[in-house]
Formats: sequence, C-alpha cells, structure tokens
Amino acid sequence: MPPPGGFEAIRYKRNLPLRGPGGVAILAGVTAISAFGFYRLGQGNLEQRELQREKVWSRLHLVPLLVAEGDRDAYRRDQAALAREKEIMKDVKDWEAGKSVYNNSRYRSRSAIAVI
Amino acid sequence: MNIFRPPVPETTPYKDPTPLPENVPKVTELGTTSGPLKSASFFIGAHCKEFNEDFMLCKEENKDPEHCLKEGRRVTRCAADLINKLRENCTKEFEEHWSCLEYNNQEFYPCRKPERALNKCVFEKLGLTKTIPGTPEGKTPIHEVENPIFKRQQK
Repeated sequence: MPPPGGFEAIRYKRNLPLRGPGGVAILAGVTAISAFGFYRLGQGNLEQRELQREKVWSRLHLVPLLVAEGDRDAYRRDQAALAREKEIMKDVKDWEAGKSVYNNSRYRSRSAIAVI
Repeated sequence: MNIFRPPVPETTPYKDPTPLPENVPKVTELGTTSGPLKSASFFIGAHCKEFNEDFMLCKEENKDPEHCLKEGRRVTRCAADLINKLRENCTKEFEEHWSCLEYNNQEFYPCRKPERALNKCVFEKLGLTKTIPGTPEGKTPIHEVENPIFKRQQK
C-alpha cells in the first residue's frame, strides 16, 4: 500500500553539475596558446636565419687571412719539393724539375707530398 | 704549420729545414687562435676590406699560391695591425668577449653583453662598426636586438 501522502517523486532528471569551462572555451584557449607558440616559432626561425648569416659572415671575413697563411706554407713546400727534385734528378739528362704532367698552365696543387 | 716535431723536447732551438726562399719578404704569422679571430672577425672585415678584396680578386685570377704572395702579406699585416690595436685600446672588452666565445662553443648569441661592450669600445677608439651584410631592410641587425628569442638559458 502507498504511504500516506503518496510516494516521493521519482528523480529521473540527469544530475550533471557544471564543471570547468565549456568546450568552446577550451578550444579557444588551445587555439590561442598554439597560435602564440607558432608565432614565436616563426619569429625564432627568422632570428635563426639572421644568426646563421652572422656566423657565415664572421667566417667570410677571415677567409683571406687564412688562405694567405696557407698559401705561404704551400709555396714554401713547393719550393722545397722543387729543390729536392733538382738534387735527386741532377744526373738525369734533359730532366726538367717541376714540369707539369699536363699541357696546360692552370695551377694544380700537388697530388702527393713528401713527409720529411 | 704542419711541421713534424718529435715528442721529446729538443735541446737546440728548432730550425726549419725548408724555410721560405730569401727573395720572399718575411712576415710574422698572425698566430691568433680561433676565439680571438672570431671575436675580431667583423672588425677585420671592416678595417682590412680593401686588402681582403684585393687578395680575393687576385686569387680569382690565378689559384697559384705564388701569384698572390704580396697581397697575402698585406692581408696578414693588416690583420695583425688590427689585433694589436684591439689589444692596445680595448684590452679588457676584447679579452672578455673572446673568452665568452670560447666558453660558449664559439656562438655569438650567448655573448651579446660582452660583445656590446666591445663594439662600443671599438667604435669609440677605432671608429669601426660591426655590420652584417644582407640584413633585411628595416629590421634591427641581430646583434643589436634587445630581447631575442635565442639567448643564453642560464642567467
């Protein structure tokens, strides 16, 4: 039998309390953060390009200096090799010391060096 | 360069068995290591522009090392002159900047603070400025950006 006054009303409605920001807000937040990140990434890429340019130019400015020093050493070695060749081949008739094997006046660096 | 030296210390001073021929004027090699060279590079580029370009044009003419010995000596003398001037006028700033470069893998970006001090000193004393060719127009050159993205993480 029902109690006096009838049964309690059946609670059939969903009980979902609001928790945290809504989906749209989260999506907007994620988009904003990502956009900022990509912006920084782009700026960083531009900056890195400039840093690279700076590095390349600092090396370019040093090239003549280093090449000049290397050239003096190469010239010294060439002259020493020529003197050695002259000394070794002095008894051979018609030997031209230091003559190129190519019929061309273009400079070629030595393909082999003597370590003494 | 590239001279064999026995590992045992010699008692007599070293004498080069194959020195440069007598008819080539002697020039003292620079002997500066990579850190100071990198630190001074833009000033070498500014101070020795004419000699450097002359030398590179000469090399373009002929790759033979003998062809450009004279221009090469000028390049070396000019660079040595600049390094000496730096060491006379901006001793502290120069030394701080190149030691910072050596501690930071020879990268410019972690060493902006000593670099700015050096640039300022060199501009005041020697009148040379660091300019990076090819910087996009209207943008601050990278070495003068106040708050860059790439900087030293450790304060």
